[in-house]
Amino acid sequence: MTDPRLTALGRRSLLAGAAAAPVLMTLDQARAQGVAPRRGGTLTTMLTPEPPVLVLGVNNQGPTLVAASKIYQGLVKFSPTLEPLPELAKSWSVSEDKRTYTFELQPNVKWHDGRPFTAEDVRFSIMEFHMQLAPRARGVFQRITDVRINNDHSISFTLNAPFEPFLLMFDVTACAIAPSHIYKGTDFRNNPANARPIGTGPFQFVEWQRGNFIRMRRFDDYWKPGQPYLDEIIYRIIPDSQSRRLALQTGQVQLSQANDIEPFDIPQFETLPNTQVVKTGWEYFAPLSWIEVNQRLDVLKDVRFRRAMAHAIDRNFIAQRLWFGTAKAATSPIASGTRFHDPNARLPEFNPRAATALLDEMGLRPNAQGVRHSVKLLTLPYGEVWTRLSEYLRQALRQVGIDVTLESTDAGGWVRRLANWEYELTVNFVYQFGDPTLGVARTYISSNIQKIAFTNTSGYSNPEIDRLFDEAQAEPETAKRAEIFKQVQAKLIADMPLIWTIELLFPTVHDRRLRNVIQLGTGVHASFDDVFFAA
Amino acid sequence: MGAERLLRFLAQRLVKAAIVVLAIVVFQFVLIRLAPGDPASVIAGQSGAADAEFMAQLRAQFGLDRPMHEQLWIYVKGILTLDLGFSHRQQLPVATLIWDRLPATLLLTGAAFLFAISAGVALGVAAARRVGRPADSVITVIALTFYATPIFWVGLLLVLIFSVWLEWLPSFGMYTVGADLTGLAYALDVGRHLILPAITLGLFFLAIYARLARASMLEVADQDFVRTAHAKGVPEGRIIRAHVLRNALLPVITFAGIQAGQLVGGSILVETVFAWPGIGRLAFDALLQRDYAVLLGVFFCTAVMVVLFNLITDLLYAVIDPRVEVA
Amino acid sequence: MADFWRRFRRNIGAVVGLVILVLVGLTAVLAPIVFPFSPWEMRGVPFMPPGEMGFLLGSDSLGRDVAAGIAHGTLVSLLVGGVSTVVALAIGITLGAVAGYAGGRVDDAVMRFTEFFQTIPSFVLAVVLVAIFTPSITSIVIAIAIVSWPPVTRVVRAEFLSLRSREFVQAAEVLGRSRIAIMLTEILPNALSPIIVLSSLMVATAILLESALSFLGLGDPNLMSWGFMIGAGRSVIRLAWWMSVFPGIAIFLTVLALNLVGEGLNDALNPRLARRRGMVVT
Repeated sequence: MTDPRLTALGRRSLLAGAAAAPVLMTLDQARAQGVAPRRGGTLTTMLTPEPPVLVLGVNNQGPTLVAASKIYQGLVKFSPTLEPLPELAKSWSVSEDKRTYTFELQPNVKWHDGRPFTAEDVRFSIMEFHMQLAPRARGVFQRITDVRINNDHSISFTLNAPFEPFLLMFDVTACAIAPSHIYKGTDFRNNPANARPIGTGPFQFVEWQRGNFIRMRRFDDYWKPGQPYLDEIIYRIIPDSQSRRLALQTGQVQLSQANDIEPFDIPQFETLPNTQVVKTGWEYFAPLSWIEVNQRLDVLKDVRFRRAMAHAIDRNFIAQRLWFGTAKAATSPIASGTRFHDPNARLPEFNPRAATALLDEMGLRPNAQGVRHSVKLLTLPYGEVWTRLSEYLRQALRQVGIDVTLESTDAGGWVRRLANWEYELTVNFVYQFGDPTLGVARTYISSNIQKIAFTNTSGYSNPEIDRLFDEAQAEPETAKRAEIFKQVQAKLIADMPLIWTIELLFPTVHDRRLRNVIQLGTGVHASFDDVFFAA
Repeated sequence: MGAERLLRFLAQRLVKAAIVVLAIVVFQFVLIRLAPGDPASVIAGQSGAADAEFMAQLRAQFGLDRPMHEQLWIYVKGILTLDLGFSHRQQLPVATLIWDRLPATLLLTGAAFLFAISAGVALGVAAARRVGRPADSVITVIALTFYATPIFWVGLLLVLIFSVWLEWLPSFGMYTVGADLTGLAYALDVGRHLILPAITLGLFFLAIYARLARASMLEVADQDFVRTAHAKGVPEGRIIRAHVLRNALLPVITFAGIQAGQLVGGSILVETVFAWPGIGRLAFDALLQRDYAVLLGVFFCTAVMVVLFNLITDLLYAVIDPRVEVA
Repeated sequence: MADFWRRFRRNIGAVVGLVILVLVGLTAVLAPIVFPFSPWEMRGVPFMPPGEMGFLLGSDSLGRDVAAGIAHGTLVSLLVGGVSTVVALAIGITLGAVAGYAGGRVDDAVMRFTEFFQTIPSFVLAVVLVAIFTPSITSIVIAIAIVSWPPVTRVVRAEFLSLRSREFVQAAEVLGRSRIAIMLTEILPNALSPIIVLSSLMVATAILLESALSFLGLGDPNLMSWGFMIGAGRSVIRLAWWMSVFPGIAIFLTVLALNLVGEGLNDALNPRLARRRGMVVT
């Protein structure tokens, strides 16, 4: 077992914190290439679209995660290979029966309002705050049967059964530690304190001019001495993508993330002398995109039709020509950054002839216009490149005789129609959250067929797949889980419930003087306490 | 006109205006609720995960779990006490959000309007005075050109020319963030950012005002009192200023009143192209995010603006043209 | 008719407009012959400048032919402009005729209703309508029609008000003809001139509105339209100016031509109003 992802949460989990810390240090030093961190400077960056609030838990949308991860922190953070690294927990251990996790917390951590951070904050955040607010956290934390505060800086959680990916839920993006003294006993969503978030992170909230910018200042009492290095971070709200591109190009902003820069502009930044393009840093999320197929519909529920679609689509074309290399062709239902991805998995290759052969076999013969079957594709309203993707899919599928009519909608309409199963085909992309049990199973298991977005909305059902996902979830041994997930991937590819297309890389573009930007598997969601401007 | 009559006129008009605004609010409220999808579903979509409890929590928080007529009643009651509601998405009172953005839009539309009306009337007058000559044709063609050009396309071309190629003016935003300018330097900075969007928004209206001013100048110049003045030997410039222009302005002002709403509509496009932080963009984002309270708040606000603007033009009308009765 | 044509011809601009309009119409008709493929087809390398690799007006971000897009988009723009104008005319003429002919309370009610619609910014209303009914050619046409009928109502009402007291109308009333027949056969034909002038301008405005909606991403995703092309080219304007510049020119020329023709019609049909150009704008 050479894949480091597989060892991450398993064998090395005993006091993994202490063991893993030096790894990061050397990485730091290597990246900085001998340049000593320098204090000072303001990092101006962007945020698209403007988040509604900056309190993690109350809101967990993409832009909120990016900005609020500077204010809040999690117990652990994750390396690019998804190894847990210490953050608010300086170390942790797992009991022999793999059911009890004990976290030793950093001492001397202060909230931005000066109050000390203690184990009670951790208990409150997990058992009350996120349990109530966040559906994903609730799904996992419901397994906790017992919480014990050992002392102010030590806390233990006991699970009803071993749950191997448990630690993955403690990243700041999944479970940010919130101040108990502010939220306890209040209506979390409507707490007036939501307007001025209080965290333990290296930067504290200063001001927010709606539609304009969010300003954060260095927290002087931050628990890592001498850090952070930056004085300020400003997140500018620039709704227009070309204005964002120009701002980055002229140096008015020094960092872009996620969707800030359109894919077709990325190649240009790769050639500019003052900017650097980094295509890593989303391993923890591993966004995988696919064509979602509503399997309640007659022709669509035939696996041959779905395989024909897969043969008709050139995934490399999508990755290279539509995403300009900021995506890569998918090879498996489990994204390549996620644990237990099978590197030997293969999807049906691009081969329109194979597609037409399958359609022929189904008895779908072309009519006078060359149309074998007509379907509707609901476009994903998340920006221009997704519209282009739908336009490409329409052309590609038309080549094999599948006539596609596009239906456009906005974000509200799309989620609603997806959730109500009111679509034939649609494009979707979903985060996999590091482990198939956390981020993949939900799309395929029949117990999760619900009228809610991001569940098994396609209506796919295979008892064999259900059983395998159940086994993998209950299995405490990493290696055995890998074996199970290998089977899962093979079976899913045979069934082709969805047409997997690309893995999104979400490139980060930053000023070359800016150092230590992307070091984690969560990339720009790091606290930035070690980010600095080289002279 | 007696002060008492003016007051009565004003009171009448205000009551009428209030009714119109209220009707618009109700109409828009019903319209928006017809849309598929609600704020809860948008949030669920963007959080990438949801369960039934989460959706129920959000809907309860937004008050969406109550019957529609009850929601409408709550909203109308709020409006009557000038309470625009609360944006649960943005965790701020709607009034605060709108107040934050309103100055930017007022600045943009105000500057565009002043530019359009001054340049438009000047061009119209110039054309009318040289009617039939090349200058007239040139002005007419210019006006027609701007009238026929999509406003967002003008914006794009201006950005392409003045920001990308010449690098004279900033292409987006309202001021240089992080520069922390104050006083005059700040005003100049905003001014520089304002030029392109204001011109973009103004050009279309400039075209209309120029054509209107030219037409009504010609019409008025034909009328008896102008001929009389000519016959009496009053100098040309004085005739233009004292008689013709004054009367020719009337249709322009009436029209500007009717068009006030279009100015706000145009600002959605201009604010999109130039990333101008105004209420047009706020409304568009709110529509896509299904943030009902904000969207309705902006509608309310624009309706009030339009109605007030109409009222002002009516009053102006009365001031400029003493013959017009306020009735 | 000859008289009409003589007066129309006197306006050089109108003749130029008519020529452009004929060319635009020809483009719409000839598009499937000159570009016998779907405008969505990816035919070559993306971002080719005009004139290269067989792309007369360049290629877009997916290697689609911009010239083919403009040609095929012509029909869409004209259709949206035309159909929405017809729908708006139907609403506007009906309401205006009823208000003008009936007078009194009916007139009052219709005019309040019309004013109400004019108080709502038309573009904002169109955006909301299209967003709510999800973008498609039908919802776009309906939304444009809903925001463009009020001027028609006003014009038609004014004409009906002045015409209804004329002798020929009264004569028809004495003869006991039905109201609807009188409105349709006696009054409407006499009120046609301003309606014709107005409708040419409405088509122009509708084309502008459609392009603005498409630009904001609220266009029909299955139809290549000029506004969509500008919207798609907008974000790459620094990389490929031709993607947004040429469709913009197409819109500009068409809208300009419609306006010029409208003025020519105005001159030819309403000689007494010839000077009050530009008064009939939404």
